[in-house]
Amino acid sequence: MHSFNVADYATRFAGRSSNIKRPREITCFSYDENHVLRHDESSLRYYYTPALHGDLSGGYDSFIKHDDSVDEHLDSLLESLIELEKKTGKRSTEDVDFVTWRGMITKIMTVPFMEDAFEMNAVFHEGSIYLEENNLYKQSTRGFQDERGARMSYWGYKFESLSTLSRPWAEASREEIENRSREIVNNKAQYCSIVKTGFGNCGLIIGGEVDAIWDCRPMNPENPINYVELKTSRQISTPNQNHNFEKKLQRFWAQSFLLGVPKIVIGFRDDHGILTSIDIRETQSIPANIKKEHLAQGLGPPPWNGNVAINFTTAFLEWLKSTLADTKGVWRIRYQQRGKQIEVFQVQE
Amino acid sequence: MGVPAFFRWLSQKYPKIISPVLETLPQEIDGQLIPVDTTEPNPNGEELDNLYLDMNGIVHPCSHPEDRPAPETEQEMMLEVFRYTERVVAMVRPRKILMMAVDGVAPRAKMNQQRSRRFRSAQEAKDKEEEMAEFVKLLASKGTEIDSTLQKKSWDSNAITPGTPFMGILSIALKYWVSYKLNTDPAWAKLKIIISDASVPGEGEHKIMEFIRSQRSDPEHNPNTRHVIYGLDADLIMLGLATHEPHFRVLREDVFAQDSKPRVCKICNQKGHRAEECTGKAKEKTGEFDEKSKANPRKPFIWLDVGVLREYLEVELRVPGLSFQWDLERAIDDWVFLCFFVGNDFLPHFPSLEIRDAGIETLTTIWKENLAAMKGFVTTDGNVNLERAQFILDGLAKQEDSIFRKRRQVEERREESAKRRKLQQENNGDSSSEAKIPVHRGKSERVPTAHPANIPLFAPNDTSEATKKLNHDIVVNRAQIRTANYANKSAAAALKAQLLQNTLSTTTQTTEADSKPTNDQPSILGKRKAELIEESSGTQTPDTSAVEENQDTVKLWEPGYRDRYYEQKFNRPPSDTEFRREVANAYVEGLCWVLIYYFQGCASWTWYYPYHYAPFAQDFENIGELKISFTLGKPFKPFEQLMGVLPAASKHNIPKAFWPLMTDEGSEIIDFYPETFPLDLNGKKFAWQGVAILPFIDEARLLTAMNKVYPNITDDEKERNEMGSELLLFSESHPLYDELATQFFSKRAIEGDFPLDPRVSEGLSGAVRKDPNFIPHSGVTFPFTNVTSDIYGDIDDDQSMSVIYLLPEKKHQHKSMLLRGVVLKAPALNAADKDIIMNRKQGNGR
Ligand SMILES: [Mg+2]
Repeated sequence: MHSFNVADYATRFAGRSSNIKRPREITCFSYDENHVLRHDESSLRYYYTPALHGDLSGGYDSFIKHDDSVDEHLDSLLESLIELEKKTGKRSTEDVDFVTWRGMITKIMTVPFMEDAFEMNAVFHEGSIYLEENNLYKQSTRGFQDERGARMSYWGYKFESLSTLSRPWAEASREEIENRSREIVNNKAQYCSIVKTGFGNCGLIIGGEVDAIWDCRPMNPENPINYVELKTSRQISTPNQNHNFEKKLQRFWAQSFLLGVPKIVIGFRDDHGILTSIDIRETQSIPANIKKEHLAQGLGPPPWNGNVAINFTTAFLEWLKSTLADTKGVWRIRYQQRGKQIEVFQVQE
Repeated sequence: MGVPAFFRWLSQKYPKIISPVLETLPQEIDGQLIPVDTTEPNPNGEELDNLYLDMNGIVHPCSHPEDRPAPETEQEMMLEVFRYTERVVAMVRPRKILMMAVDGVAPRAKMNQQRSRRFRSAQEAKDKEEEMAEFVKLLASKGTEIDSTLQKKSWDSNAITPGTPFMGILSIALKYWVSYKLNTDPAWAKLKIIISDASVPGEGEHKIMEFIRSQRSDPEHNPNTRHVIYGLDADLIMLGLATHEPHFRVLREDVFAQDSKPRVCKICNQKGHRAEECTGKAKEKTGEFDEKSKANPRKPFIWLDVGVLREYLEVELRVPGLSFQWDLERAIDDWVFLCFFVGNDFLPHFPSLEIRDAGIETLTTIWKENLAAMKGFVTTDGNVNLERAQFILDGLAKQEDSIFRKRRQVEERREESAKRRKLQQENNGDSSSEAKIPVHRGKSERVPTAHPANIPLFAPNDTSEATKKLNHDIVVNRAQIRTANYANKSAAAALKAQLLQNTLSTTTQTTEADSKPTNDQPSILGKRKAELIEESSGTQTPDTSAVEENQDTVKLWEPGYRDRYYEQKFNRPPSDTEFRREVANAYVEGLCWVLIYYFQGCASWTWYYPYHYAPFAQDFENIGELKISFTLGKPFKPFEQLMGVLPAASKHNIPKAFWPLMTDEGSEIIDFYPETFPLDLNGKKFAWQGVAILPFIDEARLLTAMNKVYPNITDDEKERNEMGSELLLFSESHPLYDELATQFFSKRAIEGDFPLDPRVSEGLSGAVRKDPNFIPHSGVTFPFTNVTSDIYGDIDDDQSMSVIYLLPEKKHQHKSMLLRGVVLKAPALNAADKDIIMNRKQGNGR
């Protein structure tokens, strides 16, 4: 059993953020409306302002929902890498230490300030560590989702369909734009971007779902892509709600940061799921803005710190890289709610 | 929109849309004029991205100014254009794009108006010449020495039409000026300049709109781009609204701000003394371009903020409790549509709708009252729902009788009280009043108190003041005085001096000689101005020279007016109701054409409204059943447009080979070029308000006749008749330079169109092609040989580039929506401002 000490993160990981590489997309893929994998961008959506005062519960009964209890492992991510290698003739994992879904790194990144439990499985293979969620653990801890919970998770998907188009605004017809509220929500269709990025001396390939694009793919592929992350959140009217929102914002930030998604559009709703306002934030400036706000309003120190999260992640990944280097079999990475360490141990020879 | 009154109406009704332009002026240090460093932050509180110049709004006042001597040669006019443009650009300090658009050939629908303006302008020039000849004879008979400049023909402003040699010179001049600026002005380092000269078809402002729409449809367009458009036409505000870009300003000279300039003598136009003290010494020219006349100070400029107008309209137009989604963008489009009923350049306006009669208010009220019943907006992205439009027309039809009657009552009351006042004055024994001819009173209309106090916008202008003092002697000598005013000003100054010394020295003491009759303005701009003056006076007593004998026999205020109207204007008997339907249908087509023109671009180059008059609202029935469609066709070639709009008197602007078509009695199209034409006052008082009854051009006959002549024109002329392209220019400091130098001038250069990457061009999308006339780092010569300038000269090593620019291909309908990511400015209107709008509604007592 190996363990990585999480305690005293605030002082241990303070200071300037460690060396980070800007995420660059290497390839992408789509699931169509039947969740069939396609190696193209056919399911990419285009952001366009949603009409306010829309009902996020609208069409709830006709929701076409993807069954996410089935373990999909890293399959589609790996298939895409194979597809990419066919195209380029080059090994895609050269100098890559980790291959994983964005959600795994998000969980690690938010350990210092959120202390939420997780379990992952890791395998070292030909120089890279493949990291995925322990699906059994996920299913067992998920708990029962009541009607309201199901509805609230629908709100998020509905918001996506209210605020995106299947093609750029200029090409979309007025009818398509105005009838978005009547579209059937289907979360089987997805668009995923696969990026190469780096934390300290670790190279990573991360795949993750992207909700929309702000404009269009840049003409020059070297330039960053203006993807958009779409989120819903309860409208804020009390200090406590604001506190919760700021904590939530950490996850929004980490997710977008990891894929290099520069914009987060937050749809604020009331308790009945009515969209009340829209807020567009630049991912990059979220940590600094929270700090500024807290300073300006005398709210004390901000609830989380971006640099600490990045430095923590770097230290952990570098440690994990050396711990699992040249090992065989399947390893478990475990963190317990508010634990003082992350444990790593072998589960399969 | 040929309705300058619209501008005034708008700025009075919505005062906060206007604000003064804060302009940093060049400083004089030790006798040296230090130009303004426009790399400094914009003094107007925010940086502006794109400036669009409707160049005809610069060329007209620079080539035949109203308030100062005209440049003597066309080359000097170009220097004036440079000077003026320089000032406007320095005022706005655009950071991204400067687009200079000159009118190219217009859609056929516009040509009827152009033709009418140009025929009138020629006729006025002819009158002027005759008067001048008479005057010269008079001077000669008195043994006075005659200044040779008096006999000089004044410049024909009809040369400002696409395809003329003058427009060719202008194009060369603009290209030179832009290269010069790119090579010398650090504020231009990152600026991209688009020149759309007269060889590119389309009206200037509509080429600008096409450009904005094209950029807007590019996903990488910045939705918070700050746009400024400069021009004189009142409809630029409409165009601004039609873009649905909320950060949009219209820039223009403050034409009402005449009071703000230092006093000059009204006789000789020089500073330092008043008219009473004038010795009549002809002005001595100083400096090559008469620098002192420039001391005739800079007119202030104003902003019209379309964003603020949108705020007003949101309050004004809002209708609660609808069964469909309220949408400000669509409400604005409907409002623009309603404004077209009251005036546009393509259709005569309804007899019942005039801005002064609150025509727009009437229509807006009808629209609001019918919106719920219509179950939707009247227009969608520039397309009219005719069934709903019928509701609006029905609403107006119901009111037509009473509108005419009310208009008549107001007129009668006005005349009545004018008579009474005159009588009173006479009874008071005010002897001097006999000599007074009150042309304008100009006091009845007042600025709403909400108007910002620091803007001298609607101060009564001095024209109305001046005209009061007309004395008997001047009336007697009016022809001469008027002639003097019309002549090329430097000649005029000399003439005035002669007048004072030789003929009128004792009688002009109290005269302000600028008191010219307003019905005789010489130019298009003059016409505009005259309308403004007329508008500003609110009430008016016709001046003695107004065409008063002309009786209005239609009498719209008396029953049976519809029959009389169709009999007299269209020559159709009352029984011919089918004809009325035809006129109404053509008018519906026109409304559809105009709306598409503003929102989507030209739907047809060949369509036009084939009558001189509009129908009544009552003549529209079941228009919902009409199927309107347009065929695009193609624009005229420049010479065809010239032959279509110019009178024979302006033939020197057209290749000689075509002259016989305009002048020979045997010409198969001689009927297109009448020497005189009837002018129908149509119930109005002044000649310039009347309708010129000119025959419509039959395109087929015109082209047939011209095709026979085309083989005889010179190669040079052939070239001038070709369709040109827009040019994009930028300096070496712009990232585009290196990108395109590699593209077009390196070893791996390729031919063909090269798409622009907006991330390199800094926001500009479209494609570019090599400009065959451009060689990198070559010399650029100052294009004029007959003028010298201490500013402009040759450039040895050109550090700018010129390429042919192609708009992004138009693939989709443009939609009247705000773009995602638009950040609206903090509201300019407070609760009190909104209350004024709301209460005015109630106060109007419905
Ligand atoms: Mg124009």
